[in-house]
Amino acid sequence: MSDPDTETSVAGAPAPRGALDISIEFSLNGEKQNCRIDSNAVLLDVLRENLGCRGVRGSCERGVCGACTVLVDDVPVASCSTFAFAVDGASVETVEGLAAADGTLSPQQRAFAECGGYQCGFCTSGMLMLTTGLLRREPRPDRGTIRDWISSNTCRCTGYEMIMESVERAAELTAAQDGDRV
Amino acid sequence: MRATVDGSGIVAQSQSALAPFRLYRPESVAEVKAVLAADPEAVIGAGCSDLVARIREGCAPRALVSLRTVAGLAAITHDAGVLRLGSMVTHHEGATSPIVAAAIPGLAAAWSRIATVRIRYTGTVGGNLMARRYRYEMPLLLGALDARLSISDGRTLGTGELWTDDTTALLTDIAVSTADLVWFGYERSMRPTTTVAVAIRRGEDATLSVHATAGSEYRRGISMRADTQVGTAADIDPARTASVLAAQLPADIADYTGSAEYRRHLVGVLARRLLCAAAVATHHREDEPHE
Repeated sequence: MSDPDTETSVAGAPAPRGALDISIEFSLNGEKQNCRIDSNAVLLDVLRENLGCRGVRGSCERGVCGACTVLVDDVPVASCSTFAFAVDGASVETVEGLAAADGTLSPQQRAFAECGGYQCGFCTSGMLMLTTGLLRREPRPDRGTIRDWISSNTCRCTGYEMIMESVERAAELTAAQDGDRV
Repeated sequence: MRATVDGSGIVAQSQSALAPFRLYRPESVAEVKAVLAADPEAVIGAGCSDLVARIREGCAPRALVSLRTVAGLAAITHDAGVLRLGSMVTHHEGATSPIVAAAIPGLAAAWSRIATVRIRYTGTVGGNLMARRYRYEMPLLLGALDARLSISDGRTLGTGELWTDDTTALLTDIAVSTADLVWFGYERSMRPTTTVAVAIRRGEDATLSVHATAGSEYRRGISMRADTQVGTAADIDPARTASVLAAQLPADIADYTGSAEYRRHLVGVLARRLLCAAAVATHHREDEPHE
């Protein structure tokens, strides 16, 4: 087994000792992190409480609302419903990693600001990460695809039309930034 | 924290309030079996999206076997008329697999419509089945397809047996015969009230049989079968066959969302739609083997 605290075993061997706390290593917004965590730690808590990523928001805590969405190896996941041990060796991206080091907003952030894709703002970081994940897979998504993805996240202000427009605009800005002018 | 376990409160516990559990990260099926044998308290976690939901409902695992690093559980193959899905195949992988799309196009299409983006990338077919939740849809899809589930204790179960067999052993893979499969489709436009999956197979006498499963958010899926006595999907009488299927629903099929009469009507309508779709979809390939 991969855990150094657990004895390697084969079928029929004595019971392996399960680990209550473990070490994990992962990349957070491009920077390597080493953490010692309890086995039950969820990614949301590690990101917010241990690593200061307050843009990752807890809300429903059951993987439904999407406020806590982060990218793990490019895949959007609900950090509230992901045990932290699961990101060992992975690349994790949060909204804190979107803007450039000099503060320049990413195309997604500019698009949401430009189109009013936020209202109270609580869902925005999750929406931005979902948009980032979508545009990496489909740089020019159609409305149906955008709807399919955005329907994963809840905006309690019900402003989905402007969010849809924001994703479309983010696709345009990303393409322009990448040199594929539209 | 234990509010939902004993029913004494309305606030669900948070996974953040769990006590640390013994975490096992095996790398082979043999190691999983050894852990399960040695630690009877261990629960299996794949994508863990359902496990977190169960924790919210009061489950407090003292030991967890993570399948994330177990080799060989995420394969998809289609050989000799059998589509085989590893239990760790995610909804996204299954729905976008060219192998699944070629073997059973209706399964790939149905699979792509369940859950949200986040769950589709994380949730697994094995987790969906072994959770034994009425509202989950893979038991319906794979039930209509008469899938066989290989369990690490050496047994093979039908999908419907999961409701009566409480095994906590590891589901390793799911096998679906495609050799005699003519068509498969799924109707979920009336979800959560009612959904229907239909598989049409050719029997040894060359006539077609229909296996349908009907489900809802609130109760276990129901299995229904009809022999058609015809040789092509286009020759199936959709209204009559749908009626035969719907009539097999039990008398107590009513639930929060509708009376028994309403539920039978819905199942009849959805089954008829599917049979009409089957006639159109198979019109040009009735004589082609479903490989």
